[in-house]
Amino acid sequence: MDMEKLYQQRFKRYTTAMRNEKPDMVPIRPFVAEFTAKYAGFTCQQVTQDYNKAFEAARICARDFDWDAVVGNMVYIWSGLTQANGTKYYGIPGVEVPVETGFQYREPSEDDAFMKSDEYDQLIADPTGFLANVWLPRTSMDVAAPGEPTSFRNNMAFLKGGMAMLNYFNAFGPQGAKLRSESGTVSAIGGILKAPLDIIGDKLRGYIGLSMDLMEKPEKVKEACEALIPHLTYNAISSADPDKNVPIGFWMHRGCTPFVTKDQFNNIYWPTLKPIIEAIWESGHQTLFYAEGNWDDHLESFAELPAGSIVYHVDQGDIFKTHKVLGSKFCISGGISNYLLSYGTPDEVRSRCKEVIDGVAKDGGYIMDASAIMQNDTSIENLKAMTEFTREYGVY
Amino acid sequence: MIEKETKAPKPGECITWDVKRKDFPKITGDEEQIKQVWQDVDALGYMYVWQCLLSF
Repeated sequence: MDMEKLYQQRFKRYTTAMRNEKPDMVPIRPFVAEFTAKYAGFTCQQVTQDYNKAFEAARICARDFDWDAVVGNMVYIWSGLTQANGTKYYGIPGVEVPVETGFQYREPSEDDAFMKSDEYDQLIADPTGFLANVWLPRTSMDVAAPGEPTSFRNNMAFLKGGMAMLNYFNAFGPQGAKLRSESGTVSAIGGILKAPLDIIGDKLRGYIGLSMDLMEKPEKVKEACEALIPHLTYNAISSADPDKNVPIGFWMHRGCTPFVTKDQFNNIYWPTLKPIIEAIWESGHQTLFYAEGNWDDHLESFAELPAGSIVYHVDQGDIFKTHKVLGSKFCISGGISNYLLSYGTPDEVRSRCKEVIDGVAKDGGYIMDASAIMQNDTSIENLKAMTEFTREYGVY
Repeated sequence: MIEKETKAPKPGECITWDVKRKDFPKITGDEEQIKQVWQDVDALGYMYVWQCLLSF
């Protein structure tokens, strides 16, 4: 088979759908994480510890399934790096969690939050300095804060951490080239974005601490979000696909109801996210809204964005409602429940795929995928059913 | 001790050229090139700090 020809067909199919236009058939872009290990015969420990094994597992899946686009490594956390810089907050398979369990984020208690309630002004004044001087030492078992005695382990944490990061990031280019030449598969995304409010909740204050702050000092939280805007925009654009073909991955966590109130979304989350998305679009990049959970309460806000600026991925939201509100402006992806893919039957999977294709994909602008990232509980048989049915039925 | 900057670095910067420039009493060659290389490598340090937050 001519892999370059296949790649070009898939590339055109995928990018056409992302422009909310009608390709030759519904593209398939599954976000497969620990599923790849299960399929390729590796443990979760093996693909988390050794990114070459994770890359290999991704390529084996890309070779065996008729998928248009995949991520080079969706088991994104390489523990070689997090161990090198002493990161405390992961449960790593084979160390803190069982060998066959995917890595876990262990959010600290409110008292042990990586940023304290009275430190907003420090973050606002100098976000990078705060991260380097306060946040990194608190999240690492090796990094010393300024003024503390330094150590061999402190010095090596920065040296090894920096070299490991470059080593890892530089491996994605060759991985993309191999996906292209070995199986004609497109690399689905490039770059990373998190919303200002989400990153404060995820990695700085923790969800409970942030919830208290949103009640007690909402203006300070908003000011911090505003201080993060230029940095998150810069990081998104500087890590994006230089050819501007595939979108920046935007991972949406706890900025939606009921994690925050509608007022908090309308007054803080959205006004400090929207300008980032607009700046990204002005620079020529799309953003993939990976709407983990249910963001249906906020679809009208997302509809304010320029047509074509985002691809909207549906997890537990109502994909048909999403299509009604956003479908005229944006491509939509997802909507096939992970529970169904893990515990349903192939017939049930085919039935759901038909329902989604009939309801959402009629005029193009839809990409087939599970609702959320697929881990090792996903049934191989069911993912084959999703793939094969979409190929047979999803032809325009 | 980490040197205190007079103002917060912009996105892509950790230690600005203005701060680093004071380490060189005299530059006899092409200052613009030295500045550019400093800023390019400084941006890698910035990337490390922010990617630790965002990606790992």
